[in-house]
Amino acid sequence: MEINNRIVGDQTKSPSAMLILWRELVRDKLALLSLIFLVLVTVTVFGVSMILDQKEIVRVDLFAINEPPSDEFILGTDYGGRDVFGQLIIGTRNSLWIGFLVTLLSGIIGVTYGLVAGYFGGHIDNVMMRILDFFLILPFIMIIIVFVSIVPSYNTFTFSLIMTAFSWMGIARLIRSKALQEKELDYAQASKTLGTSNFKIIFTQVLPNITSLIIVTMTLNLAANIGLESGLSFLGFGFPESTPSLGTLLSYARNPQTLEFRWWIWAPAAVLILVLMLAVRNVGEALRRATDARQRRG
Amino acid sequence: MWKFIVRRLLITLPQIVLLSVLVFLMAQMMPGDALTGQVDPNVSPEIKEQIRERLGLNNPWYVQYSDWVTGIAQGDFGQSFRFKMPVTELLGQRLANTFWLSLVTLIFTYIIAIPLGITSGRYNDTLLDQAITGYTYLGFATPLFIFALVMVWVFGYQLGWFPTSGSVQPGLTPGSMDYVISKFKHLLLPALSMALIATVSTVQYLRSEIVDTKQKDFIITARAKGASESRVYNRHILRNSLLPIAAFFGWEITSLISGTIFIEQIFGYPGMGALFLETILLRDYSVVTALVLLFGTASILGALLSDIILSLVDPRIRIK
Amino acid sequence: MGFLDVEDLKIHFPIKGGILNRTVGHIKAVDGVSFSVEQGKTYGLVGESGSGKTTTGRAIIGLNDITSGRILFEGTDITSKKSKTKDVKKDIQMIFQDPYSSLNPRKRVLDVIAEPLRNFEKLSKQEEKKRVQELLELVGLSPESILKYPHEFSGGQRQRIGVARAIALKPKLIIADEPVSALDVSVQAQVLNFMQDIQKELNLTYLFISHDLGIVKHMCDEIAIMYKGRYVEQGTKEDIFNRPQHIYTKRLIAAIPDINPRNRAEQFKFRKEVQREYEHSYDDYFDKEGLAYGLHPVSETHLVALPGKG
Repeated sequence: MEINNRIVGDQTKSPSAMLILWRELVRDKLALLSLIFLVLVTVTVFGVSMILDQKEIVRVDLFAINEPPSDEFILGTDYGGRDVFGQLIIGTRNSLWIGFLVTLLSGIIGVTYGLVAGYFGGHIDNVMMRILDFFLILPFIMIIIVFVSIVPSYNTFTFSLIMTAFSWMGIARLIRSKALQEKELDYAQASKTLGTSNFKIIFTQVLPNITSLIIVTMTLNLAANIGLESGLSFLGFGFPESTPSLGTLLSYARNPQTLEFRWWIWAPAAVLILVLMLAVRNVGEALRRATDARQRRG
Repeated sequence: MWKFIVRRLLITLPQIVLLSVLVFLMAQMMPGDALTGQVDPNVSPEIKEQIRERLGLNNPWYVQYSDWVTGIAQGDFGQSFRFKMPVTELLGQRLANTFWLSLVTLIFTYIIAIPLGITSGRYNDTLLDQAITGYTYLGFATPLFIFALVMVWVFGYQLGWFPTSGSVQPGLTPGSMDYVISKFKHLLLPALSMALIATVSTVQYLRSEIVDTKQKDFIITARAKGASESRVYNRHILRNSLLPIAAFFGWEITSLISGTIFIEQIFGYPGMGALFLETILLRDYSVVTALVLLFGTASILGALLSDIILSLVDPRIRIK
Repeated sequence: MGFLDVEDLKIHFPIKGGILNRTVGHIKAVDGVSFSVEQGKTYGLVGESGSGKTTTGRAIIGLNDITSGRILFEGTDITSKKSKTKDVKKDIQMIFQDPYSSLNPRKRVLDVIAEPLRNFEKLSKQEEKKRVQELLELVGLSPESILKYPHEFSGGQRQRIGVARAIALKPKLIIADEPVSALDVSVQAQVLNFMQDIQKELNLTYLFISHDLGIVKHMCDEIAIMYKGRYVEQGTKEDIFNRPQHIYTKRLIAAIPDINPRNRAEQFKFRKEVQREYEHSYDDYFDKEGLAYGLHPVSETHLVALPGKG
């Protein structure tokens, strides 16, 4: 850990990981804009979707099928006469929500797994890494799809659990190699000689020293998980049409007619996903630069 | 050297066994069994029970597992009840299509990656490099299926340059020149879409590898000895940076597989990925199991191959 | 029965290799080391890097696994990690070499020093704060700095924080692993003197690990020289510095810089001589593998590794 910022005269604050990351983010104009955009989108979709009635939006209206954008329907309607704009708002909320949830769950699992494997090392590490390698090598999209189609009570929660089961490996591997380095540092060894238990060392001594890595990785994972959800929903193995997401809107484009002639149904969702993912990545990359002192711009 | 390969093989074997157990358990969790859809629904439960007994479906799971594995080892994946033919036969038709799609994709991936990576690494921090880095940045952020949708919308539907579904134009005789050309035309857009996205990680790897190597002492020495710039690049830098790239294709297989599922769906291309989606919707689980097992094994073997090639190329890997 | 007794300590690290990643050999980091330390004294372990001195110290406190041998602390066997009871853990503490990495950069000084207290003593927040402030005062730092972070201190101050942490539980034995080698020379003497003061005040026993004979001469009552995991020579400070017997010890002592420029020529001649003797009689002092022989007494306090001539 390099000494990053000295806050002289202010004894209660440390150069905490959060603070450094935040400063770097503010310095990077593109990342700051991206962050503002993300916050705005999040607030808007969560706010507006509270006013909107999801049942009303997903109700089939046979008199308004596939209408192009008009004053009544800003972005037209789909093949069930459902308002695309409303679906876009609620869909973005659902996509973001599951993205956050899966990122958080897989983050918790991955960080714990990586910390335990890296800290204890030896045989434990060996076995845990073999298991991780196996998960990493599986064609996980296929297996997720199989689970989605055979799981008995399928809902948003089980869907996010299935996604979590196959998205914790990347962060686990990163954290493990970091923990492997951290535990050799004298402060971790010192804690041992002071009678602190292993689990306490892992979670109160080592963990605070790798927070910036965790934040960066989880930000980048958020982009990946939003992509994964929309991809699965696109194929028809994510959210059902009754629970719109950015992916379900795109899945209408599997119909060649819709793809060719009714761009208003899928194109806004496609653009929105792209912009969201770019924005999340901008933030993530800026944070990554912040953790790597050599690349810091400030 | 040999030690590394043997050790790597010793890891691979349990991986395949574990995969087969996983797939078998998934198959057990799937509703219905080999009998479903094969017998007349009007057959009495007693007779059904007799058939189940005869087929070994009442045996304990480990006996069933070993029967299942023995069958697979002999190339018997069971029957597809929707297509009414052995799974092996069904797969054979689709396998060729997916194989060609993957191969062409891999070729495109390298064709794009190598010049871009070299340019970007050699002339780093120039305008050209920034353009290429910008492309990789976008490529990382873009989900493959959205990119493919846009590609098929622009080049297939709006411009009409490429066919938008199928693997070959119907009515052509297999083996004729027209047939081959038509096949290639059907392949081109999906493969290109996949390659343009898949290639970005290779471009980035190559770039950073070259930028790193450029500053190494042995390169500075070569320069100091008066070697020309092109000699430095061709003899020293590229030799060190390109070989690892060659080993990547094995690891690409895992991402290629998820890629083909999306790509074949979007381009209506009759390959294994499309078959997977079709059969899982039809609940034709014997086909699904076979596909997961095949794709899983392909990923495992791909990684094995890459590790071995890389260990030949880069001795550091062996001391793991 | 002494205060700390180490009997025939061996620490071997396996070398992994082969197809199944089996153990194919061993690195003998510590290979049959015995010594005993008296309470209130300072025992110095000297050797070049890789000689096994740090490994010995870390094994005593339980940071390294012991292959064979026994460690007795106040007469009780504490060889295995399990046998280190709470009391033993409290009584043996360690000061680390690097004051920059041995303090967690994310913890305030209060949390750093209170860590052992929280593990062993149930104190209220107020009591804990008071104790930490007392400790800070004892090591010569301002009690107001409890809310600062380690990076706000200099290397010498950090090492004082490390000492404060080590003495928080009022231990009996402190293993000091090169406690000043990461510090500026100007700060070294300060910290060393302060360590001696604390020793007197709390009746501490030091196991002092160092590669610097000058510092060892300043600090220690008894000294052992290690080479490739074995003892080469052991004795009182006078034994080692005035009557070195083993060629390796002689060489180390010859290498101590002498600041008096008038002695330069003499010193140079002396070094030459030792070097010649070293080259000439290397085989007399080391076996075929280049390891030291077993120890043989030359006086009551003085042991030297010489070939089996007695």
